[in-house]
Amino acid sequence: MTSRPTPLRIDFHLLDRQIVDSNDVPVGNVDDVELEMGPDGRLRISALLCGMAVLGHRIGGRTGRLMSRTARRLSSDGKPKPLRIHWSQVDRVESAVILNVRRELLDDPPLERWLRINVIDKIPGAGDAG
Amino acid sequence: MTKLLSITLGILTAIGGFVDIGDLVANSQTGARFGMRLAWVVLLGVGGICVYADMCGRIAAISGRPVFDLVRERLGPKVALANLAGSYLVTLMTLGAEIGGVALAIQLASTVHYLLWVPVVAAVLMVVLWRVKFANLERVFGLVGLSLIVFVVALIALHPHWGTLGDQATSLGPPSSETWSTYGFFGVSLFAAAMTPYEVFFFSSGGVEERWTRKDLGLERVNVFVGFPLGGLLSLAIMACAAVVYLPGGVQVSTLAQTGLPVGLALGAIGLIVVIVGFFAATFGAALETGLSSGYTVAQYFGWQWGKRVAPKQDARFFTVVLVSILLGTAMLLTTIDPVQLTEYSLIFSAVVLPLTYLPILVVANDRAYLGEHVNGRVTNAIAVFYLVVILLVAIAAIPLMIITGAGS
Repeated sequence: MTSRPTPLRIDFHLLDRQIVDSNDVPVGNVDDVELEMGPDGRLRISALLCGMAVLGHRIGGRTGRLMSRTARRLSSDGKPKPLRIHWSQVDRVESAVILNVRRELLDDPPLERWLRINVIDKIPGAGDAG
Repeated sequence: MTKLLSITLGILTAIGGFVDIGDLVANSQTGARFGMRLAWVVLLGVGGICVYADMCGRIAAISGRPVFDLVRERLGPKVALANLAGSYLVTLMTLGAEIGGVALAIQLASTVHYLLWVPVVAAVLMVVLWRVKFANLERVFGLVGLSLIVFVVALIALHPHWGTLGDQATSLGPPSSETWSTYGFFGVSLFAAAMTPYEVFFFSSGGVEERWTRKDLGLERVNVFVGFPLGGLLSLAIMACAAVVYLPGGVQVSTLAQTGLPVGLALGAIGLIVVIVGFFAATFGAALETGLSSGYTVAQYFGWQWGKRVAPKQDARFFTVVLVSILLGTAMLLTTIDPVQLTEYSLIFSAVVLPLTYLPILVVANDRAYLGEHVNGRVTNAIAVFYLVVILLVAIAAIPLMIITGAGS
């Protein structure tokens, strides 16, 4: 188990892998990977993207469109912003992609926030761990 | 002492997962129609679930990754989404069937119609899932579910002709009253009852929730290789009881009361009380497992935070899926669909979705990046590949057999 497999294959080691924060708390899955052109003219990974909108785009077809539409509905302005995790926030790639930051520092997923405020928090005892 | 207690995780999965409404129904129906002629399928199924649950347990302990996580990673988002849709629907049907089973068990004890109990059971289920600690759940239902051992006692008390049961178990093919296609149909149901996908979802997610590590591997093995065969033994006892009581008269089993009746005949009122308690614990435990599993599959596909260890407000999406699934399962029952029939259909559809869940487990169990030195050995792989072929054949045969036999009627 190395900290980052070499060569690191985007399709095999990154896409669809679980992302966890520095405390092993699930953050999301790698739904897509953002690349940028480096100064030497070679592509490199700039960020990991998660969110239903990007996942829907990758899946494509009717199901994918449905997923993207759900994501649009959930975002406040109709333009869903995927969670962007900068490559420098990635500590190591093992059976999960492990970040060097806590989840609290990242954006809250819109569906999670909506359900927490409108459903789960209304039920007594929502703050107690089981 | 804590070691001893943690073995109950395996026993819960064995009793509540192995012996659930599916096994109660499939085993007694099969016993009544085929005697012990399909007992070999139970043994085959026990072997399969042991091999695959052990792989899941190892993956959970070493890499901390639960099953549906692997499904998406190895099958890609599209195929995994199809698997998610199938597995979720099957888990939902099973959840409905288990809630129906709990309600039927209470009907047996109270004589009040089961449909009136369905909303009560659903409400209690939600409160229990919301409030009770994971570790307590498994202890209570694991230990109470053991009362199904009464089927073994009843079988002995019935003084069966062991030779006849043995002859049935060793003879190949259906009795003269049945056809090869009904034989195949019930074989598929029995196999699916033993290898229901939610068992591995629950087992591996439970392992991750309990924070298994390398040190827990021994314990995990005990859970699997003691817990599941124990469940299989109970299944066989249920089948044999039905074979002794119903087969000679050609009586078909279509209610849960008939499943328990042989115990009443053998042991009287006390036996009936114990068997009803056992039905209750096994189905309620399985309802908890399937309820949680519905949330596990969806949350793990999307990479959400999940589990009972954290407060519901920390994993609002997971808890919403679980609560909505219980409501959907309840709604399914309130259409007045017969819970026993719902069980039969859930088993057949389980058989269809099995391969897409078990294949990724086998692939990852061979990946050194996940398991290091604990990857499958050659013997394990040979057995696992054999089972994958069986699972594939069962999945292909399930729907055609259901159509040919009119769902076994």
